[in-house]
Amino acid sequence: MAVGNRLRERYVFAMAGAAVLLTVSACASTTNGTPSTSSGAPSPSTTAPLVIGASVSLTGDFADSGKAVKAGYDLWADEVNKKGGILGRQVQMKIVDDTSSPTQVVTNYQNLITQDKVDLVFGPFSSLLTIPASQVAKRYGYAFLEPAGGGPKVFAQNLDNLFFVQPAPVVKSGDVYADWVLSLPTADQPKTAAYAELDDPFSAPIAENIRLRFEAAGIQTVYKQVYPAETRDLTPIMSKVAAANPDVLVSGTQSEDAYAQVKSLVQLKFSPKFMYMSNGANSPVEFPNKVGANNVNGIMSAADWYPGSPAPSSPAFVAAYTAKYGGTENSIDPSSAEAYSCGELIEQVAAKTGKIDNATIISTLHSGTWPTLVGNLSWDAVGRPTGSFSLIEWIDQKLVPVYPSDVAKAAPVYPKPNWGG
Amino acid sequence: MHALVQGVILGILTGGVYALMASGQTLIFGIMKVVNLAQGAFVILAAYLSYTLFSSFGLDPILSIPLTTVLMFGLGVVIQLVFLRPLKREDSAQLSLLVTFAVALLLEGVMSVVWQTTYRSTNTDYANSSWTLFGFQFTVVRVIAFVLSLIALGLLFLLLNRTRFGRAVRATVQNPMSAELLGVESKRVAALGFGLGAATAAAAGSVYGLLYPFNSGSHYDLISELLSIVVLGGLGSVGGAVIAALIVSTSSAVVATVFSPTWSSFTFFVILILVLLIRPQGLFGTVERGAL
Amino acid sequence: MRAIVRGGVFVVVFMTLPLFGFEHWVLNLLIFTLMYAAMSSAWNLVGGFAGYPSLGHAAFFGLGAYFIGLWFQHHDVTTGYEPFLILPLAGLVAAAVGAPIAYVAMRTRADVFAIVTITLLFVAQTLAFNLDGVTGGAQGLAMPTPPFELARFEWPFYYAMLWILLTSMLITYLSMRSKVGMSLDAVRADEDKALGVGVHVTGVKVLSFSVSVALVAMAGGVWAYYESFIYPQFAIDPIITIGMVLMTFLGGRGTLWGPVIGAFILVPGQQYLAYRLGGSQFYLIAYAGVFLLIMLLMPRGILPTIADRMRRRRAVAASSGPDATDGASPPSAGGGGGGAGVPVPSGGAA
Repeated sequence: MAVGNRLRERYVFAMAGAAVLLTVSACASTTNGTPSTSSGAPSPSTTAPLVIGASVSLTGDFADSGKAVKAGYDLWADEVNKKGGILGRQVQMKIVDDTSSPTQVVTNYQNLITQDKVDLVFGPFSSLLTIPASQVAKRYGYAFLEPAGGGPKVFAQNLDNLFFVQPAPVVKSGDVYADWVLSLPTADQPKTAAYAELDDPFSAPIAENIRLRFEAAGIQTVYKQVYPAETRDLTPIMSKVAAANPDVLVSGTQSEDAYAQVKSLVQLKFSPKFMYMSNGANSPVEFPNKVGANNVNGIMSAADWYPGSPAPSSPAFVAAYTAKYGGTENSIDPSSAEAYSCGELIEQVAAKTGKIDNATIISTLHSGTWPTLVGNLSWDAVGRPTGSFSLIEWIDQKLVPVYPSDVAKAAPVYPKPNWGG
Repeated sequence: MHALVQGVILGILTGGVYALMASGQTLIFGIMKVVNLAQGAFVILAAYLSYTLFSSFGLDPILSIPLTTVLMFGLGVVIQLVFLRPLKREDSAQLSLLVTFAVALLLEGVMSVVWQTTYRSTNTDYANSSWTLFGFQFTVVRVIAFVLSLIALGLLFLLLNRTRFGRAVRATVQNPMSAELLGVESKRVAALGFGLGAATAAAAGSVYGLLYPFNSGSHYDLISELLSIVVLGGLGSVGGAVIAALIVSTSSAVVATVFSPTWSSFTFFVILILVLLIRPQGLFGTVERGAL
Repeated sequence: MRAIVRGGVFVVVFMTLPLFGFEHWVLNLLIFTLMYAAMSSAWNLVGGFAGYPSLGHAAFFGLGAYFIGLWFQHHDVTTGYEPFLILPLAGLVAAAVGAPIAYVAMRTRADVFAIVTITLLFVAQTLAFNLDGVTGGAQGLAMPTPPFELARFEWPFYYAMLWILLTSMLITYLSMRSKVGMSLDAVRADEDKALGVGVHVTGVKVLSFSVSVALVAMAGGVWAYYESFIYPQFAIDPIITIGMVLMTFLGGRGTLWGPVIGAFILVPGQQYLAYRLGGSQFYLIAYAGVFLLIMLLMPRGILPTIADRMRRRRAVAASSGPDATDGASPPSAGGGGGGAGVPVPSGGAA
């Protein structure tokens, strides 16, 4: 009996020891050859590297976009290091995972700033994580360039160190659609509208913005439904949309629900004359993949970066991206372009001022216009960008910018062709 | 009115799938008194398997069900042997909850390593088609899902009622001690029963992948719905789980269609709480000695 | 006596910790560790001592968070300490909400109770999303920015969490040595018999539940202030409950120090694993794997297992002759008090 106990004891300690060893060695190996940092060729000079920290959702709900953001940051670091780095310093990205959790994101930025003592930080993915993270950055006086937190509450914080790296606050991304529709000859405009909105900090507000403008212009709302985020089955809502028979369907969506909406509409055999989706439909590869390539034509969305974008740095970006990650222009997630643009801004501040500390970044970016992959950016005092998005449409199963005229590559096609056409 | 009927149709068709998923869960509880919080993860794993077989080998998800059933059965047995059998009797009620939850997390981690966290769905060419009957839409995949679930449940019924193994399972559910006295090896039944519960997830998973986009984190939503269904039906009663699944699915589809999707899950929870207040053993469960 | 010394050392060390000039990230980590320690200790009152594994405590965490959030939509923060002063009020509200829920829900047996509480959790989350006039819904609710100076920014939060933890531990300690504690033990062991002998079963269950959720709600209030923003899916998150449960189980249910030890192992471990390993997707596997190892090898939790081991060693030593050991002390010393299922007050061994 005593022998049995002792053996069991040893077994327990062995197991525990093994577990500890495993964890430690895993940590050690990851820290040594850590896959999350990237640097160019080892710097010949003795100048300290410029370490930029970022917490990105590599696991959890936001993981897909989180990884695209990481890809953008890493790609930029590689490219800028090939050109000699920033002010002679090689850039090192230190990217950590916040598991899509706001508790972890606070810990991560605390660690990055006060433990790893990074020089600069970039933002995480999603307004939900950006808000707590930006507070941490503000406390320590770090500039907060963030590619993915553009919901209204982000700017309501009144932070002067925050810069949303997209052309306009997210809620305004639908404005370009309203602009176009209301610019059509009155006879061609839709008379009735339905709204299907995902209840989250951005999707519903985008659709609501459009609704207010449409209603002011006399387009009657025949159906509106806000649905919760975990709704998997959009058929009940889409059948009511079909029953209301609107001329235009405005959908405030993210990706999965956008696909579900389209699939339901196809199954219900209802095709509105005008259709706008705030997200999901702007995904060059996933959208036709999920809803069927012959169902996409005529659907409109908004984008800041898309294949064939007129931004001057776009061709080089596309070439570098496909060289590093494979795929084609069409498989590039715009989140990568937005992340890349954060880096472009840093390059330009360094080039313009000869300095790259946080205070300089904050004061410099608040004036002037800065060309990036996602357009020429400028901000108000609390980080709201003051530009606008581009309206894109699926034409011949490709995403093409159609409005405003200075970025349009084709004339907008309307009414929307039927499914399968 | 049209919307109401359309909602009912949708609810019934989807209810079949949930019935299949829930039957495995309630069976496991009946045999082992274990609340299997990993059932959702089993379904998602099966969905991934059928997705991979389809996208890499072109094997239609319906046709791959026999293969995935065998795989999931084996996995279920292994999990029971490795993680659940070692639990001592007096701890097993509370610990099994946590152990199966840890297994769910483990499976989620493995799935996210193997398949990344991109949302997937099995997109066969009939994925978007639908039939119109009397002015109501019947999506092809949902009808297939419903028929499949009926077949699977029928097979389960046959297994439980017409085979020796099934008899042993039912005896263990009713009264484990008497069953042992009568020669049923409860340990073997437990392992095989758990495997069976996991196997039901195989067919459900193939179907789930056809209907909804999923990723490794999808099992949370699924498990909360399944738990409510099995409690409503009565823990341990397969028939109860089937009926509860239909009730739940239909009422939430109706509320979503007629009122608003925001409140559909809420009304269902309310029904559950009411049932538990009035009749805590659920619709068809047995009253435990000393429960109330 | 030993218990008081242990407790005293713990209090002194943690009260003075910030004075040693640790970096912000250390204090940040401690804030979350203390938060989970407090919540696990509170959960232990219901799940460990009473034997009712509630899986819905996160709903009350969210209740506390939203209460503080809503209160400060209508009141101002000037010194920055107001949210902390309002915390006890949040606790009272949570207890008031929790008591009737406990009265109704605790009429079911353990596993059904677990499911009922999970359901309550999702109900609370749905309400948080849909009552958007009140809670801000999916858009979330902002908290006023704490006006503390940078150098000591984390201190008020640290002390607030520490205070909640100490309160919880004190309540646990006192109840273990009182009639309430004995009643809870009786309930956990065999509720029908307890009822038969005249224990106020319902009263004691409702009391433990209400106190437990009050403490958890206060932790939620501090969390909301620290994060500066409340979103429904994060404030009312099943992961929070799972964390509490896991830590209590790890350290030892029904013990005083068990939940605290569990939290001190798991929170830094989990945050560290996510920080270092997260990107490679292995962190979930590592976390679940460690969890399973503990469950299988030390199912009663660390403290009771150690206590058992020492007890056995002492018994072996005592029975093997007079050259035995350092004092044949009563068997329940050296650990955190009674293990599960022992309907005897654990006396002064806490």
